[in-house]
Amino acid sequence: MTMEIQIQNVSMTYPNGKQALKDLTLNLHGPSLIGLLGPNGAGKSTLMKLLVSALKPTSGAIRIDGAPLEKAEQRLKEQLGYLPQDFGLFDELTAAGFLDYMAALKNLKNPKDAVKESICAVNLKEKAKAGIRTLSGGQRQRVGIAQALLGNPSCLIFDEPTVGLDPQERIHFRNLFSQMAQDRLVLLSTHIIEDVQSVCDQLVVMNHGKILFAGTPEQLIKMAVGHVGVFWEQEAAWEQGLHITARVNTSRGIRCKAVADTLPAFVREEEPSLEDAYLYLISREVDQ
Amino acid sequence: MKRFCLFRLEFGRLMRSRLAWLAVFLTVVSPLAGLILYKPAYADTMLSMYLANPAIAGGAAGGILFGVLTVFEFGRAEKARVNLLMDAAVSPLTMAWVRLVSLMGAALLTAGITMAVWFPVCQRLIGSVFGAGDFILAWLIFMGLALPLGILAGASAYQFTGRTDLSLVLFAAFACLSLTVWADDWQLCWLNPCVWALSDDFSNFRIFYSVLYMRLTWLTALSAVWAVSYLCIRRYGKNICGSFLWGVRRICRPAAALALLVCAGAAYAVQPMVDHENPDLTAMTFSQMPFLEEVVCFARSAQVVPNTAAGTVSGTASYHFLNTSGRAQTISFGINPGYKVSSVQANGKEVPFSVGDYQEYNEAMLEAEIPALEEVELLIKYGGFPREGRNTSVMQGGTEISKEYLCLENAILSPRLMNVAPDEGMYPASIEITLPGSMTVIPFGSGEAQKMSENEDGTVTWRYEHNGTGGILYAGDYVRQDIRAGGITIEFYYGRKHQSVMEQAKAVEAVQAVADYCTKHYGTLSFGAGGRLKLVQSRVSGGGYATDGASLLDEADFTAVNLSDADKGSIPGEVMIHELVHQWWGLGNMFDDTDETSPWSAEGLTVYTTYRIVSELYGEEYARENYIEQWQQEVKDYYLNFYVRNPQYLEKLPEEKQLEISGNLKQVRQYSEMPLKILKAQELTGGKEAMDQILHDLFNRELDPAYPYLTYQEFLDACGLREEDLNLA
Repeated sequence: MTMEIQIQNVSMTYPNGKQALKDLTLNLHGPSLIGLLGPNGAGKSTLMKLLVSALKPTSGAIRIDGAPLEKAEQRLKEQLGYLPQDFGLFDELTAAGFLDYMAALKNLKNPKDAVKESICAVNLKEKAKAGIRTLSGGQRQRVGIAQALLGNPSCLIFDEPTVGLDPQERIHFRNLFSQMAQDRLVLLSTHIIEDVQSVCDQLVVMNHGKILFAGTPEQLIKMAVGHVGVFWEQEAAWEQGLHITARVNTSRGIRCKAVADTLPAFVREEEPSLEDAYLYLISREVDQ
Repeated sequence: MKRFCLFRLEFGRLMRSRLAWLAVFLTVVSPLAGLILYKPAYADTMLSMYLANPAIAGGAAGGILFGVLTVFEFGRAEKARVNLLMDAAVSPLTMAWVRLVSLMGAALLTAGITMAVWFPVCQRLIGSVFGAGDFILAWLIFMGLALPLGILAGASAYQFTGRTDLSLVLFAAFACLSLTVWADDWQLCWLNPCVWALSDDFSNFRIFYSVLYMRLTWLTALSAVWAVSYLCIRRYGKNICGSFLWGVRRICRPAAALALLVCAGAAYAVQPMVDHENPDLTAMTFSQMPFLEEVVCFARSAQVVPNTAAGTVSGTASYHFLNTSGRAQTISFGINPGYKVSSVQANGKEVPFSVGDYQEYNEAMLEAEIPALEEVELLIKYGGFPREGRNTSVMQGGTEISKEYLCLENAILSPRLMNVAPDEGMYPASIEITLPGSMTVIPFGSGEAQKMSENEDGTVTWRYEHNGTGGILYAGDYVRQDIRAGGITIEFYYGRKHQSVMEQAKAVEAVQAVADYCTKHYGTLSFGAGGRLKLVQSRVSGGGYATDGASLLDEADFTAVNLSDADKGSIPGEVMIHELVHQWWGLGNMFDDTDETSPWSAEGLTVYTTYRIVSELYGEEYARENYIEQWQQEVKDYYLNFYVRNPQYLEKLPEEKQLEISGNLKQVRQYSEMPLKILKAQELTGGKEAMDQILHDLFNRELDPAYPYLTYQEFLDACGLREEDLNLA
């Protein structure tokens, strides 16, 4: 059921000359929920488009279960659920109608059951017969997620899936993704740390088209130990290489959180969170 | 299987689109334009007016609507941003196929609905000459096939550009080309085929075939263009060139596109319908060939076997020459450019021959060498699908060959001798033709066809004698009625399909009355021979003509609508009289109609004579009430007409409106003003008998071959009047 994706020395340069990925090498294999983190413009969406064969790499190779993507494209599409960051729906159809349409495109054997299951999974039963043009932004996002889930694909790729969802829905989907990842490969791209910290067993951090980190969340946190601290703003002096990641107004003054390769003396070391570790990683990149 | 499921799915989605249903609805109602606004088939037959025009209008509108719908449908996924989701499930190439086939399905459905809606309408409008076969073919070919062409053009435009706005501009330009620059080119007008007439009473095989050929050529060409555009479908984030280079990697795709392009190009270049005759109508190369000295032709014969199912002709023609030159001679024949010559034998031996590339007046030149013998029998085997002249390619249909009708003229019947003089005056010819048993053979001239044998396959072989190098032969499912009138026997032939209309119009009585009256008052028809005249109703051809012993009536003059035209007579029988009077006034080159504004035409004398015949048949009071008073009222209104009094305002109107108004005014001048002037001339010259004598003299006047027309001035001179004497105001 699971799938293995090998990314070998992949680079991608757009026709306008912008280099989105630089010599990327990565192995993705399930079952796993892999969080793809990175600031805007890091190359996450480009990587995902390469993985779903919407783009071709300028150089390097992508292999699906050992076979080159060009040859395995059809097989990949049959086993893939994909939610792009920016997508639309046919407004003239109902939510169920659109899922029927997508189920047929995917050539599912029991499309009706698959549609029912995915509607239930995204909590869209009440709106199943509603016209898509009448749905709210969050409901449309749920239809998008539902179409990706159709037919229990062995590989799910979600690009910013929780955009537009309220906090309750985000938690629901986080859990759903976690559950799905028990027997398949789920790749989740986001820049919201909360979405990945509790559920992802693997993390890939990207910036400027390069992979900064690939490993477990624990490994990432461990990397940041000794590099995260807090201080009171009124007691601090400016120091090069110190990146303030949070400022909180308190009755005693402004409490700052910061990351740095070497913490200055006025900064008191603190146990890093995943967000701190991520920010530390990105800040190192900026310093370089 | 997957593609079929996808088609079902996409078709279902398409059928839920409001835009698609709007296109379907507008296409179904668009044939109305052919009844009101857009009438490319200008002949007056019922099928031209009520079948060809709605079908062509429906095709043009439907082609445009479906082209636009296609562009929007192809751009829909992109516009709705669903393409990323779809591309992740199905290749965009597969979806391009599926969308195309779904739109084709919608077009098929639309054509079906349109035909179902218009069947009873056409049946009612056309009346007794309606035929289901003509209806189905006209709608499928004129209208139905325009829709896939629009779809292919729209889809190609989108696949090339990837943009809806640009695609619409490209498609609009392509459609405009057909409606304007290419409108008079029968092979290029993909949207609006060149159909000027459909026959009511006979078949329409030739024009259907011509339009079908054009449509299939375009279908192949646009499929090729679509196949090239298919290679340009944007994939993997690449631009048009990158996608194309990626697309051509699978060699079968560009190979298929190339094969289709080659097929379309070949179909365009080697079309079988029209020849390549010299467009210079003053060219006389063939007709002015000098005769060979010391060679004469003293007899010829031909065995002609038309294939009425395929529209082809095969034949063997034999020519007997007396060659006293003592040397070999090259004989030239005019042959239809569609024919192939398989062999030429002189006295049983093959001789060299060639068919030249130069073509003139629908003929190519066949040259064959006869040996240096005194008596030579030259046997030519020929056959093929006769082509029509390029210069009249927008009026195709004349070379109709079917089991309902055929017309074989001169070089289409058998090779026409060009450079050999006859032995004694004429070229005695014996023609045999084998046709289906249901057809009656009518040699156009004094010859009488006899049945030679009834063959086992149901065909009949006919034989007739003729004099001349060419000859015209009509055959078809005709009714023949022999009428004794005006001192001659008139063999009246008309299509069986038209029988009820002819009976209703009292055709036989009208022929009798007209022949008696006109012969008595103006003289016998100059075309009668041996006391017999064949009056043959022809397939719609744009006018009649005559030769010794035969005169042709265009079926368009005898449609139910024309026969109930109040301008020509108050009852159908009178219109019949009107059309037959044209045998005296109007046949051949009798009137010069180059001056569009002149009221002097064949119609003035014809309407006047009709009035005279009707006054004899039904009494003076009836004729005065239904003719003179009507003319007077029309002319009174005419002189009061705003645009007649203020012609400067007419010029300010749009051209179409100008034509409509000036057409109506011209009709009044010809059909009412001129008869009234002739009536006034009758009063000024001393009454009916005096006018009869004047017209008799004009009818029998000596003709100037250089300018054979009967002019208004000649009429005035014969009356001893000046133009202002006949002013009516």
